[in-house]
Amino acid sequence: MSLRKNLVFTVIAAVSILCGCADKTNNDKNIAVTRDVFAMDTYMNLKAYGKNAEPALEEAEKRIHELENELSATSEQSDIWKINHSSGEETAVSRDTAALIDKALEIGNSTHGALDITIFPVLKEWGFTTEKYHIPDENKLKSLLENVDYRQIKLNDKTVSIPEKSEIDLGALAKGYTGDEIMEVFKSHSIDSAIVSLGGNVQALGSKPDGTNWKVAVRDPFSPENDMCVVEISDKAVITSGNYERFFTGDDGKRYWHIIDPADGYPADNGFVSVTVIGENGLNCDCLSTALFVAGIDGYKDIMMDYPNYDFIFVTDDEKILYTGGIKDKFQNISSMSAEVIDID
Amino acid sequence: MTKSIKLLIAAIALIFIASVIAIILGTKKPDSTCVEVVQNNKIIYRFDLSQEENRTFRVEFADGGWNDIKIENDEISIIDADCPDKTCVKTGVLRSESIPIVCLPHKLVIRFADKENE
Repeated sequence: MSLRKNLVFTVIAAVSILCGCADKTNNDKNIAVTRDVFAMDTYMNLKAYGKNAEPALEEAEKRIHELENELSATSEQSDIWKINHSSGEETAVSRDTAALIDKALEIGNSTHGALDITIFPVLKEWGFTTEKYHIPDENKLKSLLENVDYRQIKLNDKTVSIPEKSEIDLGALAKGYTGDEIMEVFKSHSIDSAIVSLGGNVQALGSKPDGTNWKVAVRDPFSPENDMCVVEISDKAVITSGNYERFFTGDDGKRYWHIIDPADGYPADNGFVSVTVIGENGLNCDCLSTALFVAGIDGYKDIMMDYPNYDFIFVTDDEKILYTGGIKDKFQNISSMSAEVIDID
Repeated sequence: MTKSIKLLIAAIALIFIASVIAIILGTKKPDSTCVEVVQNNKIIYRFDLSQEENRTFRVEFADGGWNDIKIENDEISIIDADCPDKTCVKTGVLRSESIPIVCLPHKLVIRFADKENE
């Protein structure tokens, strides 16, 4: 009889699992607490597990808004706005701003200028900051490019100066750093399982509560409403730069996207349509995804070699996926594109 | 029937049910049909799309803004909104757990409900 009872119970349990849309009712180890944050011009979703999840999310949201206030290029209270309106004078900045500029200079050097945070005036000229898009005049671009050079930025502890006509923007780094900082907040609340998506940039703390890896989907740049592949991670960030994220179609029918090549001031069109970087440090992942997108098919291998602890997924403009061997067993292609492991030699 | 035969039948029945469940779970695409419509962290609707009738309805906000949400053939989408960029409309129907429909100006999100929390 007890067997029959078991059977009945199993069926009831199965049916309720299949049909249920139950409410979240408690907050135990396996229940996720989620929070939406609308900041940095994007949608962020934070999810944490465990009994401290609620206060951890609260503090994480505060930290996001704090960083936004320091780092936004368009808010007049921000460090970046002050630097950009300093007429070449020194500006005192926060620890966060100094850390990000320091990183931008480091990756600028290691990628031979593929990442250049002084590209901002060019980005503005294209209309990417206001959504009033237009194709700039060639001469205008040339004159703006004269002031694009990250090597002119002077950082001295927590003071920054840039040439009078230069302007900087930390859009290529801010979300990566924010991810790292959220992980620190979570750790300080003894959270050991959490995952956040900051406008598509994913970063995870630990693994899922059941001990298995998180499965993170990467979008298909050729059809961004669909996923292209799934990678399994724990304690890592998965950050993508793609030509589908922010773009407009010009009067000439061509697509123009927001990742600008500092070499010519035009949207970087060097063979890649999306670059995903996977690694423990979200800030490095964010910088590298932009830099590698710009460096393109001719320059990516050199840069990749300098970051052996990171994994990469590239999508070429002729619809091929290239990825590094480190994720070979954790990578699942769910697109119709071919996918192959990159041969480093 | 001896006890061992009863046990065997029960065991087979259990395995059969387990496989049926596995097949149903495995072929459902996407895994869940439970979706949440969330406005600034408050769940304003929760639907099991497989149970919902086709319809279009409007959600309105305190500032006068609105989004028109359409449920059709077990799929959900935003078909119109009063915001300038209409990113939410361009997203189309909700397909992926990792790609929610988002209307930033209205802080509105439509996403699949968390499976683990059900």
